[in-house]
Amino acid sequence: MTRRILFNLFAWSIVLAVAFPLFWMVVTSIKPQFELFRRPPTILPETVTFEHYWRLLKETNFLIYFRNSVVLSVATTVTVVSIATLGAYSLVRFRYRGRESLAFLVLFTYLLPSVVLIIPLYLMLVTLGLANSILSLVIAYTTFALPYALWLLRSFMAGIPEDLESAALVDGASRLGAFWDVILPQLLPGIISTALFTFILSWNEYLFALVLINSDSARPLTTGVMNMLVSSFNIEWSLLMAASVMMSVPLIIVFAFLQSYLTRGFGAGGVKG
Amino acid sequence: MADVVFSNVQKTFGTFTAVRDLDLTIRSGEFVSLLGPSGCGKTTTLRMLAGLEFPTGGTISIDGKVVNDTAPGKRDIAMVFQSYALYPHMTVAKNIAYPLKKRGVPAAERDQMVAKAAEMLQLTPLLNRKPGQLSGGQQQRVALGRALVRDPKVFLLDEPLSNLDAKLRGYMRAELVELHARLGRTMVYVTHDQLEAMTMSDRIAIMLNGDLQQFAPPQEVYRFPANRFVAGFIGTPSMNLIDGELTRAGSGWRFCAASLDVPVGPLNDMAQPGPACLGMRPESLSLGAGEQMAKVLLVEQTGHENIVTLQFAGQIRLTARTTAAQDLQMGADVAFAIDTSALHVFGPGETGPRLNRLLENKSSETDGQT
Repeated sequence: MTRRILFNLFAWSIVLAVAFPLFWMVVTSIKPQFELFRRPPTILPETVTFEHYWRLLKETNFLIYFRNSVVLSVATTVTVVSIATLGAYSLVRFRYRGRESLAFLVLFTYLLPSVVLIIPLYLMLVTLGLANSILSLVIAYTTFALPYALWLLRSFMAGIPEDLESAALVDGASRLGAFWDVILPQLLPGIISTALFTFILSWNEYLFALVLINSDSARPLTTGVMNMLVSSFNIEWSLLMAASVMMSVPLIIVFAFLQSYLTRGFGAGGVKG
Repeated sequence: MADVVFSNVQKTFGTFTAVRDLDLTIRSGEFVSLLGPSGCGKTTTLRMLAGLEFPTGGTISIDGKVVNDTAPGKRDIAMVFQSYALYPHMTVAKNIAYPLKKRGVPAAERDQMVAKAAEMLQLTPLLNRKPGQLSGGQQQRVALGRALVRDPKVFLLDEPLSNLDAKLRGYMRAELVELHARLGRTMVYVTHDQLEAMTMSDRIAIMLNGDLQQFAPPQEVYRFPANRFVAGFIGTPSMNLIDGELTRAGSGWRFCAASLDVPVGPLNDMAQPGPACLGMRPESLSLGAGEQMAKVLLVEQTGHENIVTLQFAGQIRLTARTTAAQDLQMGADVAFAIDTSALHVFGPGETGPRLNRLLENKSSETDGQT
């Protein structure tokens, strides 16, 4: 009994430790400026205000950054999922020389720390004339999201019985038709978890965005908000927290809707024949 | 209606030969089983006919047309898979309609055809369910429905009954035979179960290690097995096979092994004095009287008969079939007689050829004989 209570106490203290910064973020974003630095601090705001949100939307570039982040994350996700799905299909279904080594080579590139790749990638994108554009970030994110996505989808794909595809072929479908009608619906949980993974990764990425982009029109939220609100002399805490809340909202919504798929995805191979 | 011809078909995977020089002619409307142990090449043969594997050599034709380079969907065949391969995300109705949809049959006509097939297989109440909500037998029916809905030239069935329980298997066997009679379509059936092959087929093609061993009607395969492998593979309990020596005795032959020395009927030109194999069906041994003595090792009662395992001349084991009324004690000695008119003689080796002259011409009547 005491063990159970202790265990519960332990678990809850961890939950609180994790949740407190989030709670503080929300609370700070709705406190008026004068209440922010009061000592002792107020746990719950005495006056609730949405003025920071209003200022952020009205007076700053927040919406541009937000749009950039959405375009960037969606484009990266679509690119990565399309390539990884077809790549995984090829790795699982076709027999060709070097198939296994190719798969491992792809994984190997994932093992390199991304910091090592930044400078070469930057130089390459400059040579291609793509630097300072959203496209450059899409390319950069694709390079490091693709290996993982490929491996994740490969294990999902391997769980789909080959007979299903053979049956579709005999039933009169072309290979692409069989892929579309039979393989894709089976692969959906895998595609959704891969897409979530890629989306989160590109939504939260900071380092590449910092190095590759320095024009306001192409900046995503992560670097845009920091650049706008954090300077050497001053940090606009209330605006920063309001921006953080709004940055988290899309992820929370996506998670809430796709949560069941995600958990199914991490128990990979849960595709029933 | 269509005949299927394999002509000198070869299939290799790397250095492994799955099917070697296969010549096989399946007549229009015939029910043919491809029978053999796992790895014998039967499924590869079926998959080549379906277009899911490509032959390394030779030609396959359906209805007089070479289909080597024809896509599976264009061969006008239908296939039932061992795993049923039902599309899990589609309802039963959509599963059955899929081949029609892929062939551009208009929706209204499609619904009609699905309804007809569903009625034939008693699937009508299940049309809106997903495959995951069906029992094994029902899934089996859906797979059959998907195959027969568009009336293909040739039906291919890859061990379709192996995932069912014994009772349902017996029932579905009869259903399939009836279906074949009703549709009159060519059917090619892959199985490792000789009972299925024997009870359902017009002819059986028995394969081993990629080679066709015999292609003949069930009765002929049973009574005149082409070689030692076929003799041992067909029949339950299987034929007694005894290794020994063949010797000339005047104009005839004798077979000796341990204390056994029996005359064997006239043999063909392949027969030579030396090592050979004697085969006798369990029913050609009669227990209770005779000049041979053996020890009863085991009596298995099946209800209407007993299967008796005997130990003879020290190390030779024999299986005999007796009536259930015959009372035999385990460990007791029993006299037995061999019906010498029903003996089979084979050459040495796993696929030693049949040496009996009796009805030797019989096998050359059938096509595709090796």
